[in-house]
Order: sequence, then C-alpha cells, then structure tokens
Amino acid sequence: MNQTFRILFVDDEPWLSEALRISMECRGFDCISKTNASAAWQILEKGNVDVVVTDIMMPGGDLFDDVNSEETGFEFIRRIRQRWPRQSIICLSVIADTSKIEALKKKSILYLRKGETPLATAIKLIESKATGKTSFY
Amino acid sequence: MTEIEQLKHEVELLKKQLDESKRMSRVYLQNVAHQLTAPLGAIKWSIEALKDESIPVHRRGNLLRSVYSQATILVHLIKNFALMSNLEADEQLGQMRNQEDIDPMLLAINLTNDFQPQAAEQGNKKIEVDDFSFKTVLAGRKLKAEKNLIAQALSNLLENAVKYADEDSRIFVRGESGDGFGISVTSIGLPITEVDKKRIFERGERGATAQKRVPAGTGIGLYLASRVMRLHEGTITLDANGKKSQFTLNFPKNRIK
Repeated sequence: MNQTFRILFVDDEPWLSEALRISMECRGFDCISKTNASAAWQILEKGNVDVVVTDIMMPGGDLFDDVNSEETGFEFIRRIRQRWPRQSIICLSVIADTSKIEALKKKSILYLRKGETPLATAIKLIESKATGKTSFY
Repeated sequence: MTEIEQLKHEVELLKKQLDESKRMSRVYLQNVAHQLTAPLGAIKWSIEALKDESIPVHRRGNLLRSVYSQATILVHLIKNFALMSNLEADEQLGQMRNQEDIDPMLLAINLTNDFQPQAAEQGNKKIEVDDFSFKTVLAGRKLKAEKNLIAQALSNLLENAVKYADEDSRIFVRGESGDGFGISVTSIGLPITEVDKKRIFERGERGATAQKRVPAGTGIGLYLASRVMRLHEGTITLDANGKKSQFTLNFPKNRIK
C-alpha cells in the first residue's frame, strides 16, 4: 500500500476487538483507538479518518453526556452523518436488536458482529471501505 | 369496594408484578447472553488472527494474553451464574459442607495471578498482594471457610476493581485486623456516589456512574459476594471516599484458627 489509510476504532472494551486491530495494522493501516464517543469525535474533527469502526454500547463522554450509554453508538453515527455525510462508517457490536440493525443498513452502514463475522471477512470489508476498492465480498 | 372488585384489583396487581418479573428476567437473560458472547467472540477472533502468518511473533503474544484473560472472564462469569442459581434454589446449606482450613494469602495470590493479565490488558493496571499484612494479621493461623465460595467472592471484588480502576493504577489486596479477620481490595478509580453506596450490594444493581462508564455488566457480583459472606456469618463492607474505594470481606473471630 503506497498510501496509508487511517481507521478509527471506537470501543470501550478495545481488547474485544484487538485481533481485528492487530490484523489491520499488520496490513499497513494506521489504527487509532478511542474508548468513548467524545474522544473519537475530537479525532474526527482533526480530519483524515478513512473509516470509523464503532461499537454501540459505550460511554459517551462530555459531548454525549445526555445519551443513554446503551445507545451511544447510534447517536454517534447520527451526528457523524449530519456533520460529515461522506464519512465511511462500520458498526462493530454484539447487539442483537434486528430493527436497529436494519435501520443502520438503510443508511448504508455496514454492521459487523464482534467475533461472529469471520475475521477475514471483517478485514476485507474494512479494507475495501478504506481504500475504495471493491473486494470480492 | 365490593368483594369482587377487590379481588379484581388484586388480580390486576398480581398480573402487573408477573409482567414486571418477566421483563426483568428477559433483560437479565439478554445481559447474560451479551456477557458470554463478548469474550467468546474475542477468543474466536484471536484464534483466527493467530493463524494469520503475516502477524509477527511479538503481536501474537498480545493475542495469546487476550485469549487467556477472556477465558478467565468466562470461567468467572459461569461460576457466578452457577452460584446464583444454587443460591436461588436455596441450597446454601449444601454448599457449606466442604469447609476447610484455607490460607487467605495464598488464595489472594492465586486469584491475583488469574486477574493480572486482564488488569494489564485493561489499561496497564496492576494488582498487588500485601503479603506482610496477611502474615502480620494471621500469624500462621488459617481461615475456616468454603474455599470455592470465598474464592468467588474475592474474584468478584478483584474483577470490579480491575474494571473500574483508573488506567496505570495499582489495586491492593490486604489482610485486615479488627473484630475478626478481613480481606480488603482497594482501588483508585470510578467514584461511588452516596446513593449507589446504599444499594450496591443488592441484586441487579449497578451504580449509575458505573453503567455510564462500563455499559455492560451483570450487577450480581457484589450481591453474590454479600450472600457468600452471610453464609460465613460475616459481612462485606465498603469504605469509599472520592476516587478511593475499599471493599472488605469480614470474617468473625471464630473462623480464624
């Protein structure tokens, strides 16, 4: 990869997705991890993030103080879409609420299940979102 | 109100209670499923990554450490659920048949070793057992108790401390003197509010600040620890001041011999 692509991981339990992060780093991606939505928002404001990979249930931090922690990710995604409509976002979680997942898909946000989606698939999907090249998936 | 109206009112009340109880058990089951799925998913992905030849040796160490600590979390969780179901079935008398003389310091060291990888992984935290305090208080004496239950109670305190302590902080396990003997776990991290202090040992309770900082949790760890202590005629106490929290398992004098 000549150009370095940057991925922002937002997860309050980063150790649960460490395997994915390590795999992306070993493929030459620049990975940043933040454990709450506010800290991640500050990174986004600086720009240069190719893909945001975010959890749903997580602390909001100061900027999302009024949001229920079980729904932080949804609000985080909503605000990103409002401010940066073209930002690539992938949702990585273990929530099982199908209606909410469907709503995300309608906004063309990929939904990956932590540990359930095969790791190789998750890597390919993030890779293709970041580089803009269509993978075989 | 006629007798029939009163009966109708009571039936409606019972129906409401039943609905609420059903809702709570549904929420609890969803929570349990989430708690089990997350570490299993992490283990699965770590194993998949370990098969990837492009990952260098030093990163493989991280993945193996992650597998170990997630497996520890799972074992601990499942033991908690088993203990919970036994207590619900009121089998506490049966559980107290295997009392033995245990060395609390050794128990604390073994459990600390178990949780150390998790502590390191979750923000470079470290658990330290103050062996001098145990030796001073116990002076060679042993604690008569049900080892598995005490291990589970102390594990719950350690797991919470690891979860809520500040990054790069130290968690201390000490032997305490007093009316009897105590094992304390002290950490610096999430403050516990006055409101939360009153309800923290109740089943299904998680402090508001705890929920905000760590959304996932079963809310049964401290409840189980307090039930275990009651079975041993002891207590569990909390001394919290600002960011410092100290939970202590207190055993009566007659259990130290």
